[in-house]
This record gives sequence, C-alpha cells and structure tokens, in this order.
Amino acid sequence: MSPNEPVSIDKIRNFSIIAHIDHGKSTIADRLLEYTGTISERERREQILDNMDLEREKGITIKSKAVRLQYHAKDGEKYILNLIDTPGHVDFSYEVSRSLAACEGALLIVDASQGVQAQTLANIQLAVKNNLKIIPVINKIDLATANPAKVSQELRNILEVKKEKIILASAKEGIGTSEILEAIVKRIPPPRGNIKLPLKALIFDSLYNPYQGAIVYVRIVDGLVKPGMIIQTMSNGKKYEVAEIGIFRPQMQPALGLSAGEVGYIKAGFKDIKDTRVGDTITDASNPAKVSLPGYKKANPLVFCSIYPIDTEDYENLKSALDKLKLNDSSLVSEPETSQALGFGFRCGFLGLLHMEIIQERLEREYSLNLIATAPSVMYQLTLKEGKIIRINNPSFFPSKVEIEKMEEPYVKADIITPSQYIGGIMDLAQDKRGIFKNMEYLDELRVKLSYELPLNEIILDFYDKLKSRSSGYASLDYEFIGYRPADLVKVDILVNYEVVDALSFVVHKDKAYLQAKKMVEKLKEIIPRQLYEVPIQAVIEHKVIARETIRALKKDVLAKCYGGDITRKRKLLEKQKAGKKRMKKLGRVEIPQEAFLGILKID
Amino acid sequence: MELGLYLHLPFCKAKCFYCDFNSYPIKEEKEVLPYVSSLYREIDLYAKKFKNATLKTIYWGGGTPTILSGNWISNIINFLKDNFNTAPNMEITVEANPGTIDKEKLDLLLKAGVNRLSLGAQSFNDYFLKRLGRIHTVPDIISSYLQARESGFDNINLDIMFALPDQTLSDFQSSVKKAVALKPDHLSLYNLTLEEGTEFFKSWEEGRLNLPDEEVECAMYSWAIDFLKKNGFEHYEISNFARPSKRSLHNQIYWHNQPYLGIGAGASSFIKGYRYMNFKDPQRYIQEVERGKFPIEEGEKLPRRKRMGETIILGLRTKEGVSYREFKDRFKIGMDKIFSSQIAQLVDSGLLKRDEDKIQLTPRGLFLANYVFQEFVDG
Repeated sequence: MSPNEPVSIDKIRNFSIIAHIDHGKSTIADRLLEYTGTISERERREQILDNMDLEREKGITIKSKAVRLQYHAKDGEKYILNLIDTPGHVDFSYEVSRSLAACEGALLIVDASQGVQAQTLANIQLAVKNNLKIIPVINKIDLATANPAKVSQELRNILEVKKEKIILASAKEGIGTSEILEAIVKRIPPPRGNIKLPLKALIFDSLYNPYQGAIVYVRIVDGLVKPGMIIQTMSNGKKYEVAEIGIFRPQMQPALGLSAGEVGYIKAGFKDIKDTRVGDTITDASNPAKVSLPGYKKANPLVFCSIYPIDTEDYENLKSALDKLKLNDSSLVSEPETSQALGFGFRCGFLGLLHMEIIQERLEREYSLNLIATAPSVMYQLTLKEGKIIRINNPSFFPSKVEIEKMEEPYVKADIITPSQYIGGIMDLAQDKRGIFKNMEYLDELRVKLSYELPLNEIILDFYDKLKSRSSGYASLDYEFIGYRPADLVKVDILVNYEVVDALSFVVHKDKAYLQAKKMVEKLKEIIPRQLYEVPIQAVIEHKVIARETIRALKKDVLAKCYGGDITRKRKLLEKQKAGKKRMKKLGRVEIPQEAFLGILKID
Repeated sequence: MELGLYLHLPFCKAKCFYCDFNSYPIKEEKEVLPYVSSLYREIDLYAKKFKNATLKTIYWGGGTPTILSGNWISNIINFLKDNFNTAPNMEITVEANPGTIDKEKLDLLLKAGVNRLSLGAQSFNDYFLKRLGRIHTVPDIISSYLQARESGFDNINLDIMFALPDQTLSDFQSSVKKAVALKPDHLSLYNLTLEEGTEFFKSWEEGRLNLPDEEVECAMYSWAIDFLKKNGFEHYEISNFARPSKRSLHNQIYWHNQPYLGIGAGASSFIKGYRYMNFKDPQRYIQEVERGKFPIEEGEKLPRRKRMGETIILGLRTKEGVSYREFKDRFKIGMDKIFSSQIAQLVDSGLLKRDEDKIQLTPRGLFLANYVFQEFVDG
C-alpha cells in the first residue's frame, strides 16, 4: 500500500494510548513500530514519539503526535493503524480529549505493579465519553514487583471487562506485541465517516515551522482533502489553500489525498498557530459542512505567574523567546507587565502547574535566560462597590478590601486515587485546603477514589507535593475547573527593609493569612542571605503588620588561611559565590535570590 | 628570577580531627624513604629547568616534616643549596610538632641553615588539644619551645587555633596569654574551618559539634588583634602577627603574588603566570618523578584579569594593602581603570579605605574579607 493508494475505510483503525507517566506508553509504541516494520531497529531511538528533551526527562508527552503503521493481520488482510499519541498530564486534558476524539479505540496501559492512577482514570472516562473501544494492557509483567492478578481485578472493576480480554505485556521484553496488534484490528471498529459528505477534519495538534507556518495534524471525519483545495477553519472562518497533505511514517510523507477515516497533516500556509487551535474543524470552503465537530474550546489559562529577567537588559530576549514558544503553544498567553521590584517582565498564563514549569525551564534552557518567576496565582473575580466586575490574576494588583463588594475564586473538582491506608491523612489535607468532600469510591479492596471540590488557589500552592508526601508517593491527582465561588480573601504584602516588594504579595484565605504570613517571613529570612546591614522583613495586610522577622547583619566572613596551595581553590570559591550573587536581584540595598520569589510555594 | 620554595612532607604520626591537608599517618620513618628519594629527583629536575633561579626562602611544611630524622632534613636542605643559587640571608623555615624535636635534631637543623621554626601548638589547654586530636600536651609545647630557644633558634612561630568546639572567649584568651608569655617572635591565629572529609566535618553533620557562634568568633578575633598589638606584635596579615622584623618572608611571597615553586606531593607552584599542583597521592607522585617527569596533576595559565584579581585579594590580606604604583608597574594599567566602581562601592560600605598610594581593608573589612574579595573576581 503506497501512501497514494486509496485506502478502504474498513481497513483503517485509529487508536491512541492511555497511560500514566512511566507506565510504558512510549516503549509499547516503539514495539508496535518495530513489529510492523514502520521503523527498523537500526533507526529506532529510545522513545521515538517523544522528541522534545523535556518530554524525555520528565517522562511525559507534551505535544500529541501521530504515526501510521501498516499491519499484515492474521486474517491475511493489510490494515492501516493510526496511532495518535496523547499528552499524559492533567494540564493538557483538553488536548487529550481532542486526540481521543480523533480515534475509535484506545490502548489502556497500566503498570503491573502500580495499578491505575487518577489521571489515567480521568482519561479512561474521557475515552468512554468519546465512545472509544478500550483494550486494557497490563505492562511490565516481567518486574519482580508485578501483581497482574490484582491490577487485572482493578481493571475489571473499572471497565467491566472480561479477564480474557486483558492483555499481559512486557514492552521491554517484547511480550504481548502481536496480541495488541491483533486486538486493535479485531476489537476496534473501523471509522464511520462518509467520503461523499462535505469535508470535516478535526485538528488534534499543530506544529509551527518557521518556513511553512503552522502544520496541522488532522483526522478526516467526513469527505476528502487534496492539495489545491481551499479550506476553512470553522471557528473563525479563515480560508487557506492547501499546499500539501500527507501522512506520518513517522516522518511526514506527502500524499495525493486524505479521505474520511484517515489521519495525516495539512500544510496550508497557516501563519499563526492561534488560527489552528486544537479541536477546531477544517472544512471545504466551497462546500462547507453545516455544523462543526463538537467539543471545541478556546484555550483557557488557569494558572498565572510573572516572569522577569534578572538582568534587565535581557527583556527583549525574554520577549522574543516567549513569542517563539507561543508559536508552538496556543495555550500559552503572555502580556507585558511592570513591577516596582523587578522592572519589566511578563505576566503569563498557563494551563496548569506543569505547563508553567515546562515553559520556565524551556526559557532558561533553550534561550539561556536567567529568570525570576513569581509564585503562581489563579484568576480572581471581584465585584467592586462601584458595580464593576474585574478579574485579577496578579496579587500585587488586588484592590483594597474597602473597594470590594464580592470576591470569587476558581474551584476545581479533584479526584484523588490512593491506597486506602492513606485516606485519613489525605482527608485531613483536603480539609485543611478548604476542600468540600463529595464522594468516596472503592476501586478494589485496597484502592479508593476520593472526590473533592477545592479552591484552585490551594491546589497550585503545594497540594500536590503534600499529597505525595502523605501517601508515600502513591496517591495520584486529577482535577478540572468547575466554576467561580464566593471566597473571603485577603492580600498580604511583604516588606523587605521597609519597602514593599510587589512581586512577593500573595492572596490567601482570610483564616490562613496569619499563619501563611508568618511562615512566609520565616522562609524569607532563611532564603535571603545576610547583608552588610540588618534587614527587617514584614508581612502586612492593609497597612497592618501581622508578622516580622529580622535578618541579622553579616558580621564575619573571612578565610583564616591563604598560603600557596590555597590560592586557586580560594579564588574559585569566590568566583562561584559571586556567580551565585549574580543570580540575585538587588532591591534597594538588599540582594534577594530567585527562589525567594517562589517563597510562598516553598513554605513547608 | 627570585623564587620561594616550598617542600611538602605528606606524612604525620596521626591525623588530627580538623585536618584536610595532604597528609597520611605512618608508623615508621622507613615508610617515608622512597618519597624522600623522589624529592631529590624532583629538586634535580627543577634545578636543571631553572638554572638561573635564586631561592629567597625555603619552607618545609606538611604533614609533620620533623618526623624525619635531622639528617634527612638537613641533607635535603644542603642538596637544595648545592643545586640552586640562594639569596644571602635566605629564610629557611621548618614546621615542627611539639614532641617531634629534640636537642640533636634541632642542632642538625641549625647547622643546615634552618633559621625559623614554626611550632604547631594550636592550644595551651590539654582539653582542647585532645578534642583536636593532637598527640601532644601543653608541657610538650613548652619543653619543645624552650629546647629550640636553648639550641639557638631566634625566630619561632606558634600556631594557635580558635573558635574550637565548646571553646569560650576566656578559654581562648587564656591560651593566647600563655603563648605570649613564652615570647614567640611570630603568632599565627587560625579560625577553625570545617573541611569536608575531616572527622570534625562528620561530627558537625551529625550535629555533635558545638561551635561558638558568630558573635563569639568575632569577639575572639577582635580581642586577639587588640591584645597582640598591645604586646608588641604587628598584625601584618589577616591571621598573622609578628614582632618587628620577624614577619614570615616566605608567606609574604604568596600574599605579594610573587613566584614560588612547590616540591613534593600535592605542592602548588606559581611560576611564569602558571598555577599548578603536583599529584596529591604520594605513590602517584613517586611514580611520575621516578619516570623523570614533572609530577604535575593539574594547572592553568592565568589570564591577566584573573592575575589582577588575585593580586588584589592576596594583597588586601596584608596590612599594607595593595599599592596603586605596584599594581600599575606590574600590569601597566591603573587599578582604578579596572576596579573603580568596586573600590568606590566598598569604600562607601566602610569595608575598604583608600588613600593616594593604596587600598586596604578597614577594621570592619577585615572581618568581612571574603565579601570584599568577591568583588574582585570574575563571577
């Protein structure tokens, strides 16, 4: 079957892989690629589908990708299997839902020793919602700690699947690969599109190329797309001429046409990635579909932080780095901002904490920028006494209490899956974080799903770290935004050497203000190195000091001995200390290290 | 070319709890002999390489050089004198530990031209000597000192440490007063530093070391500066005090950033703008030298900017500070051309003082020397 040969729709299978981080998604994908000869052993790199450095390091997939496999099944027929890779993290649940919408089936991969995790469960629910046929696979059965029987029981509870339908695999050892391929062919239904209907193509990912503009990854739902055709994105009505279409093998390979049921890419001179938003529908401009595909949503950042260059001269570099990142990431938003303490920078919005972390790391690593990132915040909705409703995502702009009529904060529905022995500690934690208990459900005799409604503000602080520490790392978390709710909040300002450092201000629930402020000043005292002068640190609410610590003046810093053998070592030590100092921000006379601006996050 | 020459003997009877020097405990002198023979070979290699060099000073450090017999020490010194030009009035220092010297050894040293003795007293309190892991007692210090005087040494230094675990200000004062009562010519006062890999560091990590806090350390140091000045000592370097004309010539070579040669395992050299260090491991050192090679483990050629920085941070350790004229003679550019903003800011902060001729640490700058030095290195 050459890429230009027409494909019969009943020989196509579109599937994705659902798996928790490290449960073996990439390795299984590698085995499928090798087994079908899509890529030879020689060409194979570890984790073919994850090609961003950060993805590899964090063991997660950030951008969806697709690959087309040709499989000669045991029934003697040749099949086209399109594997659509999905991001594996809660921050990208919208992207996951769109990737799943492009498929008819999904492999559910669960680690034989760890069992189902909360995010996986959330993705299973998404798959079920999208009517996907799920093929459960228990991976890593070769491990000494593997307990396939237990995991199998858990899967049967969740999926109501027969025991015989669960495939046991070890991607590392190559066990189960052919069973998986046969199951994909036999159990996943072929796509149901109609080539005669007007074109409807679902965008499930896009990639920016400086020469060709955005390249969109699509699943053709109905109709046919060919080079030269004028197409239209249905969310905004913009029109483009198709320059090239093709398939993934796994590198892009041009083709003559893509028809209903197929997966491939379209190059059509899309200039801005914002015009090729995941979830949008592409149609034929001359014969448009009447209704677009369901499920499209605009990018909606939930978490915000400010990013400033340590060296003010890096502002332009930071600006252009953000612009470049935004080319490939339509969910990243940023706008210029000024801080009294930090100068010129950007307020950025992210899908979630991981998304934020990835962007910060990429800025520092790929663009060699030395940055200060402030503690993350959520978007508050405030009704002012004058009647106006405003949205504030930067604590330093939070108005005075006397101006506010009503305050609201974002809430999420959080699902936590944990071994049952940790329930007590986790419930205490959720309670402490102002959680409202909703439900508790046993997945099997040892594992429980807890559901809470929680203020997002509490989640982004340190909820995840604490959840992990209270469950010896076993609990997993998934959450989704459910709306705004009234809240009693106060803004705490931090003064260093009697001057407000706006970038350190934070918003907190009234009942927690004193404790949080006290911890914050204690933490800052620890983080800020001693200076030549005594430096007071104060926490203030509406001009009232509620906590104070003093950093004692540095009295003595001298090396006793310096003889012939000490000189080099000593100079290098001083150089290292000085380099550390360069990474600090000088505010007035006080030098403050980068991590101080994340201070509120680092509080115990 | 005038040089200082440092000789290293990386052996001692027992490792002290605070010590991170390149030194290994041994039981008998004969274990040291292969090493000593390599010292001869290394000296020979250098003597051939630097035929025109003149030695201004020789300094024997360790370890404990005086665990060697007097004959070995004087033979090596004589060998140096035979193979190098030497300056008239060359200073020859030998470090010694109390209890490792007797009349016979001292006589041999004097005969070989050793004219300065540095005694590692460390404390005049048996409790603290024990805590430090020293193998001598206070009476050992006194008798070794008196023996050296009697033999004719007229330039003796005592090393004293402070800010020891559990040490109070008055403990320290009493130690210094006892040392001064012996009328030494020179005193080195070292603030205890915790170095990784030492017994002390381990205890500290385990929370078993009760060190005096910063206030007490400051009080000890500032009291000693005052007390020693009143007793006729000149505070001529951060940790060093001397009676008139009894400064250590050898150590001043380091602080003036002048060239020196290091012989022996782990010894450092600074010559023709290169800083380098010999192999630390005595076995490896011996191996290299016996193959006729310079036993250099690592080194670097310093760029001018780093040499300038080093000249300043070393010079500021001394009472005289750094002279504008000497800096300009050396680097052909004024110190103010390179470091004007750093100097101005440190003068403003009260850590540095400046006059027409030089920059110097202020009394406060003395306590915050590292803070000052940082401004002069590359970050």
